[in-house]
Amino acid sequence: MPARVPFWNIEAAWLFYLLTALALAVFGLGLAINLARWRPGFTWGGFSAARLKATLADALLGRRIWRGDASAGLMHALILLGFLGLFLATCLVAIDHYLVSFLHGRLYLVTSALWEICGLVLMAGLVWALIRRYLQRVPRLERRPADALLPAWLLAIALSGFLVEAARIAASGAAWERWSFLGWGLSGLFAPASAVAAHAVLWWTHAALSLGLIAWLPFSRLFHALAAPVNLYFQQEPHPLADLSLAPDQVREFSHRHFLTLDACTRCGRCVEACPSARAGEPLAPRGFVRDARLYTRLKYNLLTKIPWFRRRLRQELTSRPTIDPEQAWYCTTCAACVEVCPVQASPIELIRQVRSALVEQGSTVPPLLAQSLERLAKYQNPWLAKKGQKAAWAKGLDLPDLAKGDPAELLYFVGCTTSLDTRAQGLARGLTAVLAHCGVAFGTLGKAEPCCGDIARRVGENGLFEEQREDLSGLLADIGVREVVTSSPHCHRTLSHDYALARTRDGVTGPMPFRARHYSQVLAELVEQGRLTFPTGLAVRATFHDPCYLARHSREVRAPRRVLAAIPGLELVEMADHGRNGLCCGGGGGRMWHELPGQGHLARARLEQAMATGAALVVTACPLCLIMLEDARKAGGFEDRLAVRDLNEVVCLALGLEGGANPF
Amino acid sequence: MEILVLAKQVPETAEADLEITRDGADLERDDLVYTINEWDNYAVEEAVRLKEAHGGAVTVLTLGDEESEDVLRRGLAMGCDQAIHLNDETFLGSDPATVVQAMVKALGGRRFDLILCGVQSADQGQGQTGVLLAQALDLPYASLAVGLKLVEGGLVVTRELEANTLEEVALPLPALVTVQSGINQPRYVSIMGIRKVRGMAIEAHDADGLDLAGQVGPAASCLAARRLALPETGAGAEILSGGLDAVCARAAGIIREKGGLK
Repeated sequence: MPARVPFWNIEAAWLFYLLTALALAVFGLGLAINLARWRPGFTWGGFSAARLKATLADALLGRRIWRGDASAGLMHALILLGFLGLFLATCLVAIDHYLVSFLHGRLYLVTSALWEICGLVLMAGLVWALIRRYLQRVPRLERRPADALLPAWLLAIALSGFLVEAARIAASGAAWERWSFLGWGLSGLFAPASAVAAHAVLWWTHAALSLGLIAWLPFSRLFHALAAPVNLYFQQEPHPLADLSLAPDQVREFSHRHFLTLDACTRCGRCVEACPSARAGEPLAPRGFVRDARLYTRLKYNLLTKIPWFRRRLRQELTSRPTIDPEQAWYCTTCAACVEVCPVQASPIELIRQVRSALVEQGSTVPPLLAQSLERLAKYQNPWLAKKGQKAAWAKGLDLPDLAKGDPAELLYFVGCTTSLDTRAQGLARGLTAVLAHCGVAFGTLGKAEPCCGDIARRVGENGLFEEQREDLSGLLADIGVREVVTSSPHCHRTLSHDYALARTRDGVTGPMPFRARHYSQVLAELVEQGRLTFPTGLAVRATFHDPCYLARHSREVRAPRRVLAAIPGLELVEMADHGRNGLCCGGGGGRMWHELPGQGHLARARLEQAMATGAALVVTACPLCLIMLEDARKAGGFEDRLAVRDLNEVVCLALGLEGGANPF
Repeated sequence: MEILVLAKQVPETAEADLEITRDGADLERDDLVYTINEWDNYAVEEAVRLKEAHGGAVTVLTLGDEESEDVLRRGLAMGCDQAIHLNDETFLGSDPATVVQAMVKALGGRRFDLILCGVQSADQGQGQTGVLLAQALDLPYASLAVGLKLVEGGLVVTRELEANTLEEVALPLPALVTVQSGINQPRYVSIMGIRKVRGMAIEAHDADGLDLAGQVGPAASCLAARRLALPETGAGAEILSGGLDAVCARAAGIIREKGGLK
């Protein structure tokens, strides 16, 4: 009867068991080394079936890998399918051999054929991976020696497996072995006389390669097979805020969430292609930063440091090898383009935030202009002026209700530091004020008492300042009893809705948020949908929309501003090469508006070049920082004749004829 | 190495809209924010860097009211080890000699290897406290330091002179050095950094304790502010246009009309 004969032609089975034990021991040690890093302070939000489902969809179907690169998706699917199929086969064989014998007869033949297919699929995937990296030379892929080793190793395992099979069939082949069609086909390579000897050599080669892979797995990039699904699960929980009540010796350099990001990374390089800083030729590239951090943490937080000999070696390596360059952390705009494209949802921005926090507490390497801006924020509640009481100067003569002074209003317009103090960004505030008044929406502001929401402090890692500002503003809003907030800036919006909620979770505050914060584009879109904002005349212009990162990516809002633009008759909206959730950052986020860095690139200029490629005469955006960055790049680049930059409110005002004058475009 | 660094709290006025009080004797201070004197900030940073490089301890000292404790907390957060607060409202408005007298009494014979302070303060700008203290303690001193190096047997100080010239002087220790801005890049002091030193003890002295009651403040000062005034704003500017010769002729004409040329 067709069945598998275990250890056919293999005499020293004990040696195989010994090697297996050895391989598993090394695998276990590697796993322990990695998991030990995750363990301190490990917390999670409990089990969630929905999160598990999404994790499985990403891990098994590779949803995020297919996105934007079907060729990569196919490559990964083939390797994963082949690998899992053969892994399952090995498990079944083990069950058959050690527990219950069931693999015989027809079932055995069918499964044999299936495993042949799995092996072929695996090899196809590996060959495809090698072609992509070395023949097609996909730019984002690296070509270091180690990059060839893993696929070559896997390929050698698969090939040697087929050859073992072929030699066995050549030596003893029954007719039913035809079901192992590839082995059957290859069996002609072996002369029946020498097949038995060749089989033994090949069998041990195959065994050694396979066991070697098991031992190497936790130390190799293949570890992502275990770490990535875990990370995909955890990334669905928001990254918790730092607990500032901890004593200094309890504060950890990195949390398990950071280690998961480090271990899940496969160095695919999508982040490098998406990162506006890397694209502009700045020193930061997310992949390199993650690689350096991984090396650093694997040396520093290695379980083996408990053994003196290893501790000395690891310490020595830590000082002699280049690890994290903290200076790079300041280049990040926290635009989250890297997180958006990452197949394993690694989060370089959380890693960078953590590094920034440490730099801020240490103090010496904070870029001087940033330090100055942070000091202004702490003393004057804005990063722009070393002067109090200027927040309401833009609204002089508008006579807006002041909620801080007790004027009643259902809607609080939180103007924000930049929008109230920067002369260009004030256009946004005047525009929104005019539009809301036009639509009959009653609203007020906090006047000159408006503090900073804490966005900048949060993004640059000044955790203590963020907490102070959050407490101040939360207290003020609670005193007034504010329930509805509209913000100028997607940054303030994100901070008020997301980061304030994180603080409540951390502090154990239950119940819903006391207020709802919305970005103004969401309020305008609602007014359009309610029929309260209509455009009788319209505005003839070809326009493109620059998605603010904190609106499109962090807050997942791409529809609202487009809904408003679509309502304007005559306005033709064209999209840039990178738009929506893949929009390209203007370079103003993450605190970069407030400091200068050596070798900094022209991030906003790159964006304007994309805009001009669409043939649009107008770039519309919905963020004060984007507005300033793009306007500056437009002037510095000499593009004044080629296109205009406007805030969405300004465009709405023009379309409504609230500003008077002819169409300027 | 034991270092003493002096730090003063001053109002930030660089961008503020200054107003004079009705009696003309002082600034309207309600809208002003108080901070460490810029020069002293460089001095504190330099002291902490010397400690980090060579070991020892840094003591930071201020003279002022209750509020000026912030300057000490900031110094402790930057890495100073101890703080001395000459804490008395009546100290405000004292002349530099009185300030130095109070400091000497509070120090009570304690010896330091090096005393650092800013060249001058941003509010009064008299530039006397440092050098007077050196006199009172009979220490060699160097002013306007833009570089400071510990060497065998003393200190080499780079001084900033007029017209981009630098002078290098050697001093034996103990010594006093007044620090010019730009000598280093002072570190950022985080909110958490300040919070962490909230509980540290601060040595405090008031005028009574120093036997100076009635001998400090404006009344005992050798200086008195008669009247403060903001510079008058001109009526406007006239922009001359035309060729170079024409502009020069017109400019000379205006100066002559106003009596500037005879």
